[in-house]
Amino acid sequence: MKVVKWIFIALVTAVSLFPFYVMIMMSTYYSENIFKGLPLSPSDYLTENLMTVFKTDFIRVYANSLTVSFAAGILGVLTSTLIGYAVAKFNFKLKSFLNYFIIITMMVPAQVGLIGYIIEMRHMGFGNTLMPVILIWSAWSFGAFFMVQYIRDTVPTEILECARIDGASEPRILFGIAMPLIKPGIATLSTLVFLWSWNNYLLPLVTINNAKSFTLPVFISTLGIVHRTDYGARMAALAMATLPVLIIFLLGSRTFIKGITAGAVKG
Amino acid sequence: MNTETVSKSSASSRVAPSRWSGVRVWPYLFALPFILSYMTFHLYPTLYSFWLSMHDWNGIGAKTYIGLRNYVTLLTKDPLFFKSLYNTFIIMLMSVPLMILLGMVLAYLIFHLAKGRVFFQTVNFLPYITTPVAIGFIFSFMFDWQTGIVNALLIKTGLMTEGYYWLQDPLMAQGIIALMIIWRNLGYFMAIYLAGMTAIPQDIYEAAKVDGSTGLHTFTRITLPMLKNITVFLIVTSIIGGLQLFDEPKLLYGGWSASTSGGPDNAALTVIWKFVNDSFVTGTRFGYGSALAYTLFVIIVLFSLLSYRISAGKGDKA
Repeated sequence: MKVVKWIFIALVTAVSLFPFYVMIMMSTYYSENIFKGLPLSPSDYLTENLMTVFKTDFIRVYANSLTVSFAAGILGVLTSTLIGYAVAKFNFKLKSFLNYFIIITMMVPAQVGLIGYIIEMRHMGFGNTLMPVILIWSAWSFGAFFMVQYIRDTVPTEILECARIDGASEPRILFGIAMPLIKPGIATLSTLVFLWSWNNYLLPLVTINNAKSFTLPVFISTLGIVHRTDYGARMAALAMATLPVLIIFLLGSRTFIKGITAGAVKG
Repeated sequence: MNTETVSKSSASSRVAPSRWSGVRVWPYLFALPFILSYMTFHLYPTLYSFWLSMHDWNGIGAKTYIGLRNYVTLLTKDPLFFKSLYNTFIIMLMSVPLMILLGMVLAYLIFHLAKGRVFFQTVNFLPYITTPVAIGFIFSFMFDWQTGIVNALLIKTGLMTEGYYWLQDPLMAQGIIALMIIWRNLGYFMAIYLAGMTAIPQDIYEAAKVDGSTGLHTFTRITLPMLKNITVFLIVTSIIGGLQLFDEPKLLYGGWSASTSGGPDNAALTVIWKFVNDSFVTGTRFGYGSALAYTLFVIIVLFSLLSYRISAGKGDKA
């Protein structure tokens, strides 16, 4: 029984890792040599492949993706934290309405308003910029939902009351007292926006028409279709595109997984 | 907006001590950025899309009001819509039960490991954070007819004498997409189940042990029922997400060569892929596309309610 258990775990783990392994191995091959055998051991063409990739617009596209992910992270986490703090720690007329509002909006799939959003972005003059893929995160229902729960659970109301009696202003209370307490939640949420905006494919595909504003997923999916299909170079590009999320994930994998699973286990 | 909240606060400050007056204004101010952004970038486009869905519009010229005709065309004269819906459901049927089963088994095994729990959890979670583009490329490479690793392995081990054209077989195409989904999400399912298992109080197990319950009996009588809510959550969210499937099939077929659209015999065409095709690729039928999106929205609402009813109503067997 124990052997079966270990074989199962080892097998699933190997299957999880295999495509990554193939990706990294392939990026060290000269494209035409990949198909002569199984690319299971490293070859010596990595630097050339990297050169090929960097000769394209890769660096600018990479910068675009980083800009989008950081801007989306700051914007999404800020608005989520503000409304989360309001709903979790204040008693006001619209409290329960806002709570339901957040939950209901979380259920509406993004594609329903996609065409309207694209037209709106064109009218606002953002058609060929990175704005459409950033602004969509400015009202991130999941983030708001997460923050309501998180602030409710981690910030004791008494501390806020004390500060209020001492005459601290409300923004001071939020940024000086509540913020330090919810840092882990903010970290989790930032990681999530980073990951999801980094990997997002559909939205940049349909909103960005200008090759100058491409993000990584769109760029790589169109890379090298015109010229010779350079699989090795493409795999190298993919490996580099996967790297940032991999690093961020490995740095905080425990809190990250906790954050992602929190909603499910509670509900 | 601003003056309104301020006056509201001064009215209520008669009741509360004056230094509390800030408490009345600030929650509205804090909620405001989110609400305004939602109105501007989500609610307005959604309503605008609904308005568009009643019009015939190619994105440039004049919009002609045609009432519900887009919806009628979609539901009566567009067999490809039903085909795409059917494909989406087949792919979900192939992937969701397996993800639930494998995710639960994997979580159960890893949960009971003496050591290496964090390691296996982290490693198996990696596919979930990978760019879908990478997944699409890697899978289309692995299953390629001439150059794919899968064929090469099968031939080398003697299981097959010549390569199989995996990606040109309609059923296989759907199977491979299901496989991509399973591969990507298994770690996520496992992590959710692991979190759920950690949340089960340990004294229940001890009580069961005292009563003589062991192994499989404990699993089916305690662990499974305690994980019911999580299973319901996973099924409902996979159906909501599954109906919006786009990245995997599109990148499996649109990645290497842009020539094929929809896979062999359109077997890989999902609803959102058709939506993208109709609205942006083969034409710019924005009205029709909006109608398609709204129809899908209604289907998503119906099926998430239905699946919630069914999976939550199964009682303790689930």
